[in-house]
This record gives sequence, structure tokens and C-alpha cells, in this order.
Amino acid sequence: MTIKEITHLYNRVGFGISFQEASSLQKQSRTQVVSNIFDASREMTPLSVDVSEIKSQVRGLNLKDRKKIRSLIKDSVKKIHQLNIAWLYKLGNTQELLREKMTLFWANHFVCHDKNILHFQQYQNTLRKHALGNFKDFVIAIAKEPAMIKYLNTKQNKKRKPNENFARELMELFTLGRDHYSEKDIKEAARAFTGWNHDLMGNFRFRRMQHDYGEKTFLGKTGNFNGEAIIDIILQEKQCAKFICEKLYRYFVNDSLDASRVAEMTELFYQDYDIENLMRFVLTSNWFYDEKNIGTKIKSPVEFLIGMHRIVPMQFEKERELVYLQKLLGQHLLFPPNVAGWKGGRNWINPNTMMLRLRLPSILLANGEIALDEKGEFEDDFQRFNSKRNRQRRLKVIPDWETFHANNSNTTTAQLQEVLLTSPLNRGTKQYLDKLADQDLKEYCIQLMSLPEYQLC
Amino acid sequence: MNRRNFLKQASLASAAMFLPKFVSGFNLIDSAVATGKKLVIIQLSGGNDGLNTVVPFRNDIYYKNRASLAQQKSNLIGITDEIGFHESLIAHSNLYHNGELCVINNVGYPNPNRSHFRATDIWHTASDATEYLQSGWIGRYLDATKSKSLNAIEVDDSLSLIMKGETTDGIAAKNPKLFYQTTQAPYFKKVVNHHDDAHLSEHNLGYLYKTMVTASNSAKYLHETSKTFTTKTTYPKNGFSKQLKQVAQFINSGLQTKVYYASLGGFDTHANQANKQKRLLKVYDEAMAAFIKDLKQEDSFKDTLILTFSEFGRRVQQNAANGTDHGTANQVFLIGEQLKKQGFYNPMADLSDLDSNGDLKYDIDFREIYTSVLNNWLDIDAKKVLGKPFNGLNIV
Repeated sequence: MTIKEITHLYNRVGFGISFQEASSLQKQSRTQVVSNIFDASREMTPLSVDVSEIKSQVRGLNLKDRKKIRSLIKDSVKKIHQLNIAWLYKLGNTQELLREKMTLFWANHFVCHDKNILHFQQYQNTLRKHALGNFKDFVIAIAKEPAMIKYLNTKQNKKRKPNENFARELMELFTLGRDHYSEKDIKEAARAFTGWNHDLMGNFRFRRMQHDYGEKTFLGKTGNFNGEAIIDIILQEKQCAKFICEKLYRYFVNDSLDASRVAEMTELFYQDYDIENLMRFVLTSNWFYDEKNIGTKIKSPVEFLIGMHRIVPMQFEKERELVYLQKLLGQHLLFPPNVAGWKGGRNWINPNTMMLRLRLPSILLANGEIALDEKGEFEDDFQRFNSKRNRQRRLKVIPDWETFHANNSNTTTAQLQEVLLTSPLNRGTKQYLDKLADQDLKEYCIQLMSLPEYQLC
Repeated sequence: MNRRNFLKQASLASAAMFLPKFVSGFNLIDSAVATGKKLVIIQLSGGNDGLNTVVPFRNDIYYKNRASLAQQKSNLIGITDEIGFHESLIAHSNLYHNGELCVINNVGYPNPNRSHFRATDIWHTASDATEYLQSGWIGRYLDATKSKSLNAIEVDDSLSLIMKGETTDGIAAKNPKLFYQTTQAPYFKKVVNHHDDAHLSEHNLGYLYKTMVTASNSAKYLHETSKTFTTKTTYPKNGFSKQLKQVAQFINSGLQTKVYYASLGGFDTHANQANKQKRLLKVYDEAMAAFIKDLKQEDSFKDTLILTFSEFGRRVQQNAANGTDHGTANQVFLIGEQLKKQGFYNPMADLSDLDSNGDLKYDIDFREIYTSVLNNWLDIDAKKVLGKPFNGLNIV
């Protein structure tokens, strides 16, 4: 494989690659390189923060003790912020690249949020566990997750008073896409999921008394369907395979769909809904490496941050600043804007986020300043709100240049450029860069990362 | 060309003549929307307790539900025989008596949501409670008028959903000098200067370069224009006042921007509400007083409409911690010289008819207010922005 192809592959299944690593793979065949990527993701290392204290408190919880519950929720929300930081560092250091990248994809597909750390952490790892598995098992597992049961009101879905929220989003966002089912189908599907509930510790519980055992007619089929049967019927629709393949194509290949490639993917995926097979097909195909697919996608804020970190490792002294950066860039992991998730693509970019992205490498790596005023939180008292306005600050970040130099001891500026910028260069910018090429590698690295071209992968 | 168009063209021409071509924001603002009218939107974030802000001091139900939190008549600023303003709202009571304030009571929407995030999204996007939109109504105003980012400014470091359109987003600029300085970092400047316009294709890379150039030009225009004005008004020293001072500077310096947005946080008063709300409303009221004075001195108040909202009101029944929990409908303040309806637009909420949660049932959909503001103040067909028709109100 060429350096360009290897870089493209690693941009999409991970967060980029160093020149040395890329050149060490050059002699291998594409099948081999892709195979190694899957092997590296064979294991599943869960994302976790320490929840033992909260767990033991929940075990002995008296549900009438409102004060206790309030303080538990407060502790739990703190843990969710810790989980957010832990996730970022996991992305920055993981060997299970593809599994983590797929998990990011699925987290923005099966969008969910919960304040209960026990349930939400478990949810995150269900995403991880099934990220490369069978899609049907995946959908069933998600439907049974306490966090999802709460998020889309399955908990309130009872025989005598069905709640359609989950049934609607299951079809509209998770499996079929809009306009491939009727309002009647939603009502019937909702009946099939009645009684799906959970206990405090996060186990799925089926409440028989609340389940509607009556006959349902759904997508043209009639029977005594339960939730699993509904999911099974949905997956028999080829539209479901197509819907998922389109979304995966947009995420891993190109923002604009190529109908014939998506059709190839759909044929394959429809056979067994095996996500790993599908991804292997995409990553080994010739068209994945077509010029039009290389360096064309706008990096998500997380791809942008982690990509920098993987070239120059960074340690944030104040985790709060890392949270704020995510908010400024428009992607705060674990806090999606709504059930449809982040729109991605050009929606990441507006004049403010663009400026911030271009300046961020010098802020993080070269001691630059940033306006770091948080928006007033709902709960802030006003002294705090007022004391922090209109200030420029330096972020407390320690970039690890030693590791950078160790990883790039023989790398030239041209080689560094080859792995950091994969899109075609703007002509004026190229001329400007040529003048800088005999610079120190560290300076050159920061400058490459400060270009609009670096926003693409 | 009618008189109004002529004046519009003339004022644009003169503004452009004073500035060297390269700093001129002429190309940054769409002339089609460059009339003089401005809209300033203010959010009291966290859910202000409307019932203790505009108080029905003859209502027994109010006192019954607010054993320790009710505002006593003697503390209020009397407005009518039955209604008083919170003691912090001194400037607002003057505005009321000058006919420059319209209080729209009991504003909400069907199936109200009591989460801050969700309720804020609903107010920002003008969606139904069951609908998830990813663009805000001011952002879609930019889309519908095909105007540039600079036509809507949030006085903050990052952009809220209200400012994000489908194709165009507003700009967040809290301090134009700092904003400008960030574009003057040597390397950034070089990239802006060196790029090759001819290669700004429809490719994502072209989009990135175009956005970069917009940011850079906007920052320059904002800085160059706003520094031509120095206020003579003294503002209180706090963050919210600084934001409003900045808005006044933008407006008074002749910036063509149509919409400004700022917010004041901290209204989530679940415990020990009385003192917190008193201080917060004081910050809000005093900042507004200075802001309006500043505008009046430069004769720009007549063209400015100020809309204040909060994402929800609070429960009628107070809680055990001397605070209130998340509620539903709330009042909206409209401030300006050209109000069609002055004083109270409609009666206060009926406290004897609450929903199953013990919350107010709304009378006026907030999108009816947006509709009037869009149709009658921003001069655009509101349906293009809101996606569906609402009855307007006779307010502006």
C-alpha cells in the first residue's frame, strides 16, 4: 500500500497515523493491513470510571429518601463528566482503533443520554460490545438498555396507555428512516414494547402485567408480536440494511453518497447483518481508496482533537478546560444535542468554530491564549457568572514533544506533511508552505495543523 | 426608487465612503435587510420565577401557595390595582409608565417541557415540544433573508442554537477587539493572505476557506466599525452589563447587524430563592437601564426592540427549600418606543386553573410573538422562518 492509502485508511478507522508507522506497513498487502486492524479490535476493553461507591448506595437506597436521591444524582452527574474525560483519553490511547471509531459512530446513531452513571456507563459499553457484531442483536440489546428505556420513554409504555416515543425513533432514526412506515405501524409496534422496563441496578425487567399480549398488525404482517419480533420484521425490510449502509458510507467514505457502492454494501449487509463483514468489504474495496474519497471529510471536533493528540500527546491539567473545549467546538461527548445526534459535516463549521480550530494548535501546543469564558450555567450563582467575563487565558496543557520527536526522529517536513494533510492543497497556501519547508519539524507540525486543509481527513 | 429605498442606499453609500474598501463590511451585510431596525433578544437563563417578578398581590391563591416566598404588597412597586413589579425592577416600572414596555403574560406552548436544555432548545428553535429542530429561529432568519453571518451577533464566546441556521450561522463576538486580535495572529494572517481565491471550489476545502475569510473580514469590520463609538453612559460593573454595553456600542457605531442575543444565567432558584432572584433581577434591570439610556442618547432607541424571555416559569406551589421548581408559562417583556400595545398585553395567568402538575396553562404561544416580530419588525414573512403559520399579536 502507498503512504497515502495507509494514511487515508487510518484517518477513517482511527485518528490518523505517524509517518514512521505508516511506512512500516508499506510492504504489506491491503488485505493484511485491514486484517490487522480487525485483529487489533478483537478484544473489547470497557470504558469505565469507579462507580463502586454509587453502586453500594443505590443497593441500600430508600426510594422515599428524597434528599439522598438528590445527592446521589449530583454525584452521578459528576461521574458522567469523568466518564466523558475517560472516553477522550481512551480514544487518544486505545489500540482497539476500529472498535472505538465504530463506537463513536453508533453513539451518534443510537443517541441517548442519562444522568444515572450506572446505567449510562453500561449503555456505553453495550455500544462497544456490539460495535462490530450482529446488527439485530445490537438493536435488541439497545432496546433493553435502562438508559434507552428511560430516554425514549419505554418505561412509560404500558398496555393501558402506550407511549409511542421509542417505537417511532426505532424506525425513524435507528432502522428504516423516515417515510418507510405508517403511523399505524408505530402504534402497533409501541404495543409490542409495552412492559419493557428495568430495575435500579440496570437489569432489564419484563413487566408481564403491563404487556399487551393482543394481536398486532405491523408492516403488513399480523401476529402476536413482542418487541423482538417487531425488530425481526423491521430487519426483513431491505430498506433497513440500506439505511444503515448509507449512514456508514457517509461516516467512513464520503458525505455524498454513491448509489451503486451503497447498493453493493446493502446486498452484502442484508444477508446476515454482520457489521464486521460489511466493514471488511468497505475497507478492502478499491473504491474506498478512490481519489474523490481521500481528504474530503470534515473532521468532527473529537477527530480533530484526538488526531492532534495522537501526533503530539497532550495532558490537560484541568479537566474542566477539556470539557469547555468540546463545548466550544460543538461536540461534547455523552451530551448529544437531541435524539437525532450531531448532524456532522459542514455543520461543524461556522466562522467561530473555524477560527478556533485554526488557532487551537498554537493554543494547545505553543502556549497560545484563548478566551475562556463559559456561558452562564443554569445553576450558577451570579458572582461566579460575573467574575469570569472577558478574559484571555492560557490553557493548562502540557504537550509531550519528546514523544513527538522520538516517533519522528527520521521524519522530514515533507513526510510529516504527507500524513497530516491528505486533501489537495489550496494553491496559494502550497506556495506559502513551500517557503517554510526547511523549518524545524516541531514548528512545521504546528503550522500544518493550523491550516484549513488539516480540518479534512 | 421610493424615499425609503433612497435613504437606505444613501446611508449605505456614506458608511462605505468613510471606510477604506478593504475594511468595509459592505459585502458582509445584505443590503436587502439593511433597514435601521434592530432586535435585541435577552434570555434570563435557568427559568426566572415570573410569578414573583410580576406579582398578583391581590390573589389569595398566590399567597396560599407561597407561604414563605410570596412578595408582600409593601415590597412591590405598584403598577396597577392588582399587579406590582418586583422591587428590583425600577427601570422597568419607569418604562411601563413611559409606554415603552409591553408585558405579555402567560406565554408558553402545548405539552411544555421542564428540562432547561430541552425547553431552551424549544424557545431557540421555535419547535413544537415533540419536534427536534437543529436550527434556531434567528439562524433561519439569516437563511430566509439570504443574509451574511454578521447580520446576527451573539455577545458571547460561542454560538447558541438560536443563532444557527440551516445554511448560515450568526457570529459570536463578545469583545470585538479580542475577536479581531485572534485573526491577527501572524500565522493565521499569512494563511488568510496567501490563499488563492480561484481555488475555492464547492469541495469541502473551498467551504472551509470561505468560512475562514468570512470570519476574518467580519472580525475586522466589527472592530473597525465599533471602535468609532465611545459611550458616555456609565454601566454597572458586571458581565451582563458588559454584554449590553457591547451591544450598544455595536448599534451606536452604526453597525448594520439586525439581531443581537445575550443571556444572563443563574435563575434556577430551587433553594433560597428570595435573595438570589432579587440580586439577579437587579443586575438585569440596572443593565437595561444603562443600555436604554445609552441608546436614547444616540437616538437609536427608537429603532431598537428588546425582547426578554426565560425558558420556563416556575411551579406555582413553592417547595420546602424556600425555592421553586421548574414550571411552564412565563411572561415576556417587549421594550421599545414603537410598541402598538403598551402596558399589559393580556391578563395574568389564572391561578385557579392549573395543569395536573400544578403548573400554569399558557394563553399565548411564544411563536405568536416571534411571528409578529418577524412580520412587523424584521419585515420578513414569518412563515418562511417558522415553517408554519401562527396568529400574530398586535404588539409591534
